[in-house]
Amino acid sequence: MKTLSRFKNAFRKLALSATALVALGLSPALAEEINALVWCDHSSPEFLKPFEDASGIKVNVKEFEGTGAGLALLDQSQPGDWDVMVIDSIDVRRGVEKGLFEPLPEDKLPLGDLYPQVVLDAFTKLDGKRYGITEKFGYNTIGFNKDKVDGNDMQTLQSLVSDKYKGRIAIYDYYLPVMGMAALAAGKKTADLTEADLPAIKDVLLKMKANAKLVGEVTASQTALATGEVDILVGGGEWVTAGLAKENPALDFSIPKEGGILWSQSLAMLAASQKKDAALKFIQYVLSSEGQARLATSPCYWGMPSNQKAALTDEQKKVLRFDEQPGFLARAQLYPAPDEKLDKQMQDVWTQMLQAQ
Amino acid sequence: MRSAIRLATVIYAVLIYGFIFLPVVTLVLFSFQATSFPIPPFSGPSLRWYQAVLGDTRLTSALLNSLLVAVISSAVATLLGFLAAWGFARFRLPASALMRGLITLPLTVSYLIIGMGLLVLFNSIGFPKSLSAAGIGHVVINLPLCFAILYSQMGEHQANIERAARDLGAKEWQVLTLVTAPMLWPALFASFFLSMTFSWDEFVISFLLTRFETTLPVEIWNLLRSGLNPKTNAVGSLVFLVSIAFVLLFELVFFRKSRS
Amino acid sequence: MTQSANASGGAVPWVAVGPALLWTLAFFAAPFIAMALVSVTVKGGGFSLANYQQFFTDPSYYRALFNSLEVTALVTVISILLAYPFAWILAEQIPERWQRLALILAILPFWTSYVVRSYSWLLVLAEKGVVNNTLVQLGLISEPIQLANTRFATVTGFVHFFVMLLTLTIFANLKQLSPSYRKAAADLGAGPVRTFLHIILPLTLPGIMVGAFLTFVLATGDYITPQILGGNNELLMPQLIMLQIGRRGDFPLASALSILLMLVVTVAYLACARWLKIERA
Repeated sequence: MKTLSRFKNAFRKLALSATALVALGLSPALAEEINALVWCDHSSPEFLKPFEDASGIKVNVKEFEGTGAGLALLDQSQPGDWDVMVIDSIDVRRGVEKGLFEPLPEDKLPLGDLYPQVVLDAFTKLDGKRYGITEKFGYNTIGFNKDKVDGNDMQTLQSLVSDKYKGRIAIYDYYLPVMGMAALAAGKKTADLTEADLPAIKDVLLKMKANAKLVGEVTASQTALATGEVDILVGGGEWVTAGLAKENPALDFSIPKEGGILWSQSLAMLAASQKKDAALKFIQYVLSSEGQARLATSPCYWGMPSNQKAALTDEQKKVLRFDEQPGFLARAQLYPAPDEKLDKQMQDVWTQMLQAQ
Repeated sequence: MRSAIRLATVIYAVLIYGFIFLPVVTLVLFSFQATSFPIPPFSGPSLRWYQAVLGDTRLTSALLNSLLVAVISSAVATLLGFLAAWGFARFRLPASALMRGLITLPLTVSYLIIGMGLLVLFNSIGFPKSLSAAGIGHVVINLPLCFAILYSQMGEHQANIERAARDLGAKEWQVLTLVTAPMLWPALFASFFLSMTFSWDEFVISFLLTRFETTLPVEIWNLLRSGLNPKTNAVGSLVFLVSIAFVLLFELVFFRKSRS
Repeated sequence: MTQSANASGGAVPWVAVGPALLWTLAFFAAPFIAMALVSVTVKGGGFSLANYQQFFTDPSYYRALFNSLEVTALVTVISILLAYPFAWILAEQIPERWQRLALILAILPFWTSYVVRSYSWLLVLAEKGVVNNTLVQLGLISEPIQLANTRFATVTGFVHFFVMLLTLTIFANLKQLSPSYRKAAADLGAGPVRTFLHIILPLTLPGIMVGAFLTFVLATGDYITPQILGGNNELLMPQLIMLQIGRRGDFPLASALSILLMLVVTVAYLACARWLKIERA
């Protein structure tokens, strides 16, 4: 029985240290909590903590990628589970049509300070009511290392499918923007894509794949570009190069003559939320000049703040190329916005591209 | 000739050890990197990434969640496995082989499929994603293991002692807690420890079944996807350290005893 | 057999085995049935075999299963070939008193986190990583070669794990062999090669098979290793399944793919079943 008592002792110690760990880990209790479905740029402590400290509202975040996955997560949840959601601006209506979103009070939001080109009323408003407000935007275009490639080649999407850069390309693994770029390369407009355009798009994709070393998510593709594993990132943009500017100043992006894809993310409030006041406070924080600056320079990825008054340093503005925005915006096209059926077909084409040898 | 074989075995063993340790050494070395990329040249040593890890409340709370899920799910799996092993070993039950087969069946199924199944089931009955949901999944993967270990240890010799205790007037639950369990504690501990190891390191079930409160492997995955930096090396090295401490504890408590 | 010990215990044995049985039924059998039912619907619709049809007609889908099987076969064979001699060295060439330490060292990296292990290999194999860097500095290659983001990287990541696992199972098996077998073989005039082929190898086959089966189950079902190391240059089955969940929340299609994967594993299980019985001491 001596062994048993030794075991007991060991276990008691374990239990004690576990308790101590739990006690250490408990943060001071906050009065209120909201649950937010977000992209990775919203989950850093640098972004959330100032809000939590100032408002006493704790923000629980769950990351997801893509509107399809986000809506599926809502499907799997109980009404009231979620208070705030980040969503592609062009997809706000998909949520509204499902009755998921609550109208936002325009008078309590700094709408006048936003870049008018990214507010996208056509997608974020319905029947005169605002359901989404753009918080951050940027471009999916060509990210590259200017020391390694010819800058002139980066002015056209055709360079991505030519032999010149074979084995020096990475493709960002998100089907919507990259298929949008493929559509531009094939001379189509992203706004009116149909099933009939898919073969041409697939053709471009397969040529890009043949040139590509990898198809990577945010990190993998960022790293590949930053460490010199590849020289070009299809789908890249300031969201890749700006955050890495310190590490590798040679990283740059261009918006080629065919155009680039504008991404724009919005915040929406869930209609079933039980904590609408707290949720609104959070949305107000995100759109405030401080919140905008922190969101724009998130460690996950950088992007343009939608609020022109974002409290960014001159250095940061330079990296984000604040001054050139009007020209960029003029040439950019929106993300493709497929319906459910076309979405599935597009993803199948994407799967075929991944699987192609 | 003999010495040539000797030399060949030494070289072979060194090469395999080298292969096995290459990623671990790389991981730990570049956790002390001073700059932002964990690739050569080595620019450290620096502790900045360890500070970053310890200051990241998402990681530290995920670590506690992982411990919590591991301890509770392993305790449940060990308890259920113990009861079932005892029941099957000591009593003649109809369709015993079939039922034992059912309990051990999850061993042959990928975690991914177990996780998918639970996701579909929980989704259809409205059971929310949570640490409890992941814990239930961890019991599913560990119960067969605990059962198999404990069932293999239920020998004739213990049955005789149990019978003696019963003859002396002990009730069934007393036999179980005061006689059987103490006799089997090495196996019980081994089951618990193995379950802890698997639960602690499990990714895909937790990934599918949790929401914002999640376990450490899922949080590390999120970290990995939100930017490649030596912070991942630092958290990986820390996890390695904690796990090694557990292994040493196990070695000290369990094997030293079993040898004497 | 001890089952004679107490043949009839009334309700007691059912109270003992009940919880484990119910748990398995509720959280293993029922989910499987739910998945099977969902797999014959389409997302947002009713009964349909479209998911299975898609798998068998779309090359990019069934290709994923072939990829999984090819990778797993490669991994299993390479791991056995690497691990067997290693286990033999540990069991036969290292002095008894150091064996435990040698074995623990050989499996120590098990205890790095599973997600982190693949990530570490990415660092090792990257274009500017340790391996390429060393090779270039040694002058063996002039330009870095692509190791990461390939099937080679995925296989390497898997082999690393399974060499450790197989070393463990084969080592345990070798240690169980009585030295008298070898002696008897030698007395009968068999040389070391014949002793190995006719005595040792057949007797260690169970250890190899248990390891091979575990390799098969774990490698066909693993998402992390190919996802981190494969660079999405091809998709394996688990990646295809997670893609359905992650991108579209398409449970029916993901369920159908899971069931197909499970069927394949079941076939492998039946093939190895005779070596996998759980015996009582």
